[in-house]
Amino acid sequence: MTMDMLAKSDLRPVRRRRGPAVGPGARLTLLSAASIAFALGLWFALAASGLLPKMLLPSPWDVAQALVKNIGVPFAGATLQQHLLASLGRFSAGFALAVAVGVPVGLMMGWFAPFRHAFAPFFETFRFIAPLAWVPFAALWFGTGIGGPILIVFSGAFAACVINTYRGARMTDERLIEACRTLGAGNWRLIVDVLLPSALPSIMAGIRVAAALGWQSLIGAELIVASSGVGYLIVQGQGSVETPIVMAGMATIGFVGLLIDLGLRQIDARIGRGWRAGA
Amino acid sequence: MSGIAFTDVTRAFERKGGAFQALEPVTLHVPDGEFVAIVGPSGCGKTTLLRLAAGLDHPTTGSVMVGGRAVTGPGPDRAVVFQQFALLPWKTVRQNIGFGLKCRGMSDAEARPLVERYLATMRLEGHGDSYPHQLSGGMQQRVAIARSFILEPEVLLMDEPFGALDAQTRIEMQEELIRLTAGQRRTVLFITHSVEEATYLADRVVVMAGRPGSVREIVDVASLRKAERWAERPVEEVMELDSFIRIRTRLWRLLRSAGAHRDDAATHTLPIAS
Amino acid sequence: MAAASPLHRSLLGAPVIGGAAVVGFLIAWWVSAKSFDPMRIPQPGDVWDAAVQLATTGYAGGTLAQHTLQSIMLAFMGFAVAAGTALPIGLAMGMSRSAEAVFGPIVAFIRPIPPLAWIPLAIIWFGLGDGAKIFVIWFTAFVPTLINTFTGVRTVDPTIIAAARVHGAGPRRMLLDVILPGAAPLIFSGLRVSLQASWMALVAAELIGAFFGLGRVLMTAAQDIFPGMIVVAMAAVAVCGATMTWLLGVVERRCLPWLKVTP
Repeated sequence: MTMDMLAKSDLRPVRRRRGPAVGPGARLTLLSAASIAFALGLWFALAASGLLPKMLLPSPWDVAQALVKNIGVPFAGATLQQHLLASLGRFSAGFALAVAVGVPVGLMMGWFAPFRHAFAPFFETFRFIAPLAWVPFAALWFGTGIGGPILIVFSGAFAACVINTYRGARMTDERLIEACRTLGAGNWRLIVDVLLPSALPSIMAGIRVAAALGWQSLIGAELIVASSGVGYLIVQGQGSVETPIVMAGMATIGFVGLLIDLGLRQIDARIGRGWRAGA
Repeated sequence: MSGIAFTDVTRAFERKGGAFQALEPVTLHVPDGEFVAIVGPSGCGKTTLLRLAAGLDHPTTGSVMVGGRAVTGPGPDRAVVFQQFALLPWKTVRQNIGFGLKCRGMSDAEARPLVERYLATMRLEGHGDSYPHQLSGGMQQRVAIARSFILEPEVLLMDEPFGALDAQTRIEMQEELIRLTAGQRRTVLFITHSVEEATYLADRVVVMAGRPGSVREIVDVASLRKAERWAERPVEEVMELDSFIRIRTRLWRLLRSAGAHRDDAATHTLPIAS
Repeated sequence: MAAASPLHRSLLGAPVIGGAAVVGFLIAWWVSAKSFDPMRIPQPGDVWDAAVQLATTGYAGGTLAQHTLQSIMLAFMGFAVAAGTALPIGLAMGMSRSAEAVFGPIVAFIRPIPPLAWIPLAIIWFGLGDGAKIFVIWFTAFVPTLINTFTGVRTVDPTIIAAARVHGAGPRRMLLDVILPGAAPLIFSGLRVSLQASWMALVAAELIGAFFGLGRVLMTAAQDIFPGMIVVAMAAVAVCGATMTWLLGVVERRCLPWLKVTP
């Protein structure tokens, strides 16, 4: 799995010192702006041209209006912010559970070989089950309660937490472990004071991937079984062919996902700021 | 009572295509309170010997006893100081020094005065809340030594502790170590590449030969050190003494022949009377 | 990698402990299933019966082979479309700052939207047929391959590029013999993530609306409250996902014989 790799790679341009210092930068910014303007313009033009019916392709303006309107006027039983609150509640519960279980499990797998051997077959089986394939059981076991969405978010986010924690724990410098053992550290102290902080960068990368996967799994689940939430909002929008609502919902989902990631980045940057500076 | 006794110790490692013999039967006694340095070419098994005493490794055959008890695993009665310091990067100097005490179940309040005392002893005042990466190599190693000494171990195992330091710092640390061990006699097993360092610090210097590792010869320094009062004189002065130079040169020759005439060495794996 | 815990190096090998754990789990299920509501926790016998039924007479409009084939074909088609677009764009973005400036912002805009959130729009645009699913898979699988290709190209050792240039390599040579092989390990890991994501997206799309496929089996079983069949369908989803990942690994080892591939 390469979830961690993906989390690290970004679309940030690699700096190459070549050619004059000022010229190309401005040109590239201009190109980027032109690209965005072109895409938006194309959308506006297509929507305005009437080539496609409005129900297939509303203009960006329609979408923005639908977004604003839905803040005041309920759609699918609730306003946008109420739907969002419902989704965020489910997400937080399932995500918190995945981190609270996944990180300790990853650490245990990294430290105790018998635990690793016993757990590995289940983990290897379950991580190939698409998170949404749990929807039928989520419905059977929990009905419309909050347990169902929590199970789905958990099954989406759990694997990334475990794998990255495990990898990080295994990468711990053997010399640190030995040094602490000679100082009298037992299993518990080694896990808490050595493995956990050492694995922290990897864990945080895993948690960010887990959040993205969990958020997306929740939206998927809300498309199928829910009576509230932003996923429910867009699937209801689809049912009544309110395409502006669908797109407004999608924008909201994307924006909130971005905010979640930003928040986690902030936490990541703050944890261990003192010691990580030179590490 | 905290002597170290290696008796007929061998260590073989599993390798692709058979076992690799790191130590042939080695018998070596380090009596209680003695400072023994081990020198030898790379791969002569000197670090293996130290790891066996630390309980980080186990002998294939033979026995390793410390203080009359067989070594089964690491323990705070035997402190290890590593070449790479091995400080926890996410803990401050204070937390690193107090780590072993915390492992013993001591509360922060109980540990505090002890930690402060060792901060002072190791001249680390004002750096208690720094993280290791903010310190120089010499200071980091002083933290590592403090974190070992605070546990008042009976045995000190040092694996090329000053090998990663620059020459200047290295000499300061050597003096520091003399000062520390003079205050409280401890059994020390000290591994080094430096013949000068071994001569300056040790009561006896063990010369090892490699592949498989064995004891080539043991050179006594203690009587000279006592007679000429090395411990009370600065390093540079000691290093100019004829006696010092003679021992150093002898060790050099032994080391060379240990590398060259490997076959002779087998006859020198004699137990040393203490 | 060094074993992190020499103390706990177990005497029993991984297969013994792992096997014992699996057997233990199955026994626990066997024993405890009877005390649960069979409408919630299926009994081992139910699962077996469901598996036999799906494999022979069929369920939800087809047999196991038919459903699986349909799902795998769709997933592969979506994956192929995604890889076919993401690879060239990623290569272009990696090799040209201008291409990066053009595509980068658009990707950055689309990327935060979870692919599954495209499903309702896809249904509006393409209906419940295969088109919608391929569209959703495309959005799901596009980004991982694109980003890894881009990063892969950008991280090709500059000294190798310089060496090739010195030896007079033209743009074609440069692309085929230097940049592609250099970026290949990262490209493959991107493809692997994309393939797994394709599969997950397809199952999701089939759950939401489909006439056929493993997701359809899952949804029908859920509506019929048929827990045994749910387990069978989930198992089929897992086996297909694992097999596809494994196959791509085989392809990767074939294509990159000079690399030591870590599983």
